[in-house]
Amino acid sequence: MTPPAPSPTPAPPLLALRAVTKRFPGVVALDAVDFDAHAGRVHALVGENGAGKSTLLKVVAGAERPDAGTLALGGAPVSFGAPRDALSAGVTVMYQELSLVPQLRADANIFLGMEPGRHGLLDRHAAAARAGEVLRSLGADFDPATPAGDLSVAEQQLVELARALVRDARLIALDEPTAALSLVETDRLFEQVRRLCARGIAVIFVSHRLEEVRRIADEITVLRDGRRVFAGPAAGIDDAGLIRHMVGRDVEYARLGAARGAPGAPLLEVRSLGSRGRFSDVSLAVRRGEIVGLAGLVGAGRTEVARCLAGADPHDAGAMALAGAPYRPASPREAIARGVVFLPEDRKTQGLVLGMNVRENVTLAALGRFARRGVIRARAEREAATRQTRAVELRPPDIEREAGTLSGGNQQKVVLAKWLLVDADVLIFDEPTRGVDVAAKAELHQLIRGLADAGKAVVVISSELPEILALADRVVVMREGRVSGELPAAGATAEGILALALPASHAA
Amino acid sequence: MAPRAARLGVPLALAGLVLVAGVLIPGFLSPANLTTILLHVSINGIIALGCTFVIITAGIDLSVGSVVGLAGVLTAATLTSGTVLRVAGPGGAAVVAGLVGIAAGAAVGLLNGGVVAKLGVAPFIVTLATMTAARGAARLVTGGVPIGFPDPGDPLYERKIAALDALHAVGGGRIPVPGLPNGFPVPALVMLALVATGAFVLVRTRFGRHVYAVGGNEEASRLAGVAVGRIKLGTYAICGAGAGLAAVLLVGQLRSGGPDAGMLYELNAIAAAVIGGTSLFGGVGTAWGALTGALLIGVLNNGLDLLGVQSFWQEIAKGVIILLAVLFDVWMKRADARRRARAARI
Repeated sequence: MTPPAPSPTPAPPLLALRAVTKRFPGVVALDAVDFDAHAGRVHALVGENGAGKSTLLKVVAGAERPDAGTLALGGAPVSFGAPRDALSAGVTVMYQELSLVPQLRADANIFLGMEPGRHGLLDRHAAAARAGEVLRSLGADFDPATPAGDLSVAEQQLVELARALVRDARLIALDEPTAALSLVETDRLFEQVRRLCARGIAVIFVSHRLEEVRRIADEITVLRDGRRVFAGPAAGIDDAGLIRHMVGRDVEYARLGAARGAPGAPLLEVRSLGSRGRFSDVSLAVRRGEIVGLAGLVGAGRTEVARCLAGADPHDAGAMALAGAPYRPASPREAIARGVVFLPEDRKTQGLVLGMNVRENVTLAALGRFARRGVIRARAEREAATRQTRAVELRPPDIEREAGTLSGGNQQKVVLAKWLLVDADVLIFDEPTRGVDVAAKAELHQLIRGLADAGKAVVVISSELPEILALADRVVVMREGRVSGELPAAGATAEGILALALPASHAA
Repeated sequence: MAPRAARLGVPLALAGLVLVAGVLIPGFLSPANLTTILLHVSINGIIALGCTFVIITAGIDLSVGSVVGLAGVLTAATLTSGTVLRVAGPGGAAVVAGLVGIAAGAAVGLLNGGVVAKLGVAPFIVTLATMTAARGAARLVTGGVPIGFPDPGDPLYERKIAALDALHAVGGGRIPVPGLPNGFPVPALVMLALVATGAFVLVRTRFGRHVYAVGGNEEASRLAGVAVGRIKLGTYAICGAGAGLAAVLLVGQLRSGGPDAGMLYELNAIAAAVIGGTSLFGGVGTAWGALTGALLIGVLNNGLDLLGVQSFWQEIAKGVIILLAVLFDVWMKRADARRRARAARI
């Protein structure tokens, strides 16, 4: 189905963002972004992970306040202090993580926060009747009395849409709504999206699937590194052009990988590894002195594979071998004992104990070495922590500083220092430079490269293609829980990786 | 381990309270009264110390009060058991009974910790269950009546009295100290020694470091190779053993073990830990804090007693103090979060 041709005389936009800027510690998530959404049209928002799509949606939803720039709705400037302000103005965002109360009935969810009734007494019949009506108008065929938690994802989405409709929504934003839908369910959703447009509602559609964007979008906006790099009618650009806009970057890191001496036998080898519902048939190998880049979209199963390698999660198919011997760690503790360590993507919730100081974090995984009969030898611990924090060039080099007060880059250095102290053979980095500023990124890249040069086997997961290209000797690409391809660093390009990472079509 | 203000706040509050009470109440600062306060605080202080270990891991132990009841009746039953008395004699019976009490507490603690760590049930629920079950067990063992003072016609009357006296030397004994007319109470000495040991374990040992790490961030600790389950198990065992020891001291003090002893002790202990700066969110707390919290409650009770304030008002005052302590904790956490956000931006 071809989208309708763009109207010759553009009407004023329903929603207009002008020069919206949003900064987070260490990153500019949105950099003077303009964005328009017109009544009755579908606006696709595409970009790589971290391009700023989610932040843009949050600004629209009132969940984040922009640091600069303006929002106008129907021509009048608005300022959303909280999500409820946006809701009452008719702006609804449907997140990937649906926001229904699973124990409540579908109709109760629809009217949650605006229950009809008088003097605090619920008029349940009125709610049920109206909810049923709206759900039927959306093509729903389930009982509105069903608890939301018992509904399928597609059905829950209809509940969320119904919730938007009873609030007289003028704009509905959908954040990757098809990620968990089957082909048929996607078709049905698109049908409803078109009906919403026919009612004059503006729709913002975020998706990684270019094929779907093609089917549904009237307009396409491409974000990259927090900037708008393309905006125009969908008919005016082809897939190759979109991918080029998505990956073309100002920042290029020095290529540290590639063209090394022939590496030896694999140190860590994974054959047909699988974990039901998360990934399957994953095979890869890492040699000493080598960095393997694991690329793919968020949700492709990269972190899940890494957690199995590190003993943090179990697997139920396939086998692993470490230095030729069978390897099946039951816990991170076992993996560490075998010399395999994992630097999780979320430093704050998984990498560090924020309330502890740098010293305590650095020595946490190797405390036994500084303890005699269970009693910590304070001086040995201090010396080791000092040595490690110097090795990673922590700034300031204060080992008594609380980890939670450090910047992102320095926090990551502390996590790295912790694992350097363990002296592992295999290091698995999950998004090592997320939320880290450019200078610290380059330093971390040097440190990671240095580890490989010192004979360690390294796996780096990154959603940032330039980072993969900068570090990896070999790139393994995952898509929807499977390995979709492998590229030598010399032959790898951002376009090539992205083509392997993007879901080709829905049936895949 | 704790924000600086939190470390100083409660000791300062305690010092202030002592000062005010000293000025207002004649006799409050007398050595005799101060040692009395220490004696009254010691049972709660010991239990609070154990609870502090558990709470630092972001857990909770509601069963300690019932454990005092159960361990107490088992201690008293052992102490006055004919077999034990015949084999070990009164002094030996006191030792065996003490060990039985501590072991019983540790056993319940291990059960709590095992279910929490291995089965992943919420500590609140697990220890609520053992709290109920242990109280029932204590009543079952005794048929609902206290065990202790023998009938005058008992053939072992003298030996039993001797055994009770032997344990009383610990639970109710006083060590002569020049300048203190009644000497220094043994339970207070035990408490101080345990607090010092607890502080050492928490700050200087690998186990202690892991306790803070698990409470501060369980997932990060697990990924760092910390045996999270074993650490939790250890803290509940320590907490249970502490309650068991408290029961032994109580039996010694009272020369009897009643199934209803230790009622609501868990709340006093948790209150002392929290007032002392231990965060229910985990990761924060100290052994000295538990002592300070217990002392604060003790000084408050004693002062209001001496002033002749009705005990009902004392309860209300204690409630207010607990609320203030928790508010202080929440407030410190917010300030902490702000400080982190600011520092991270630099």
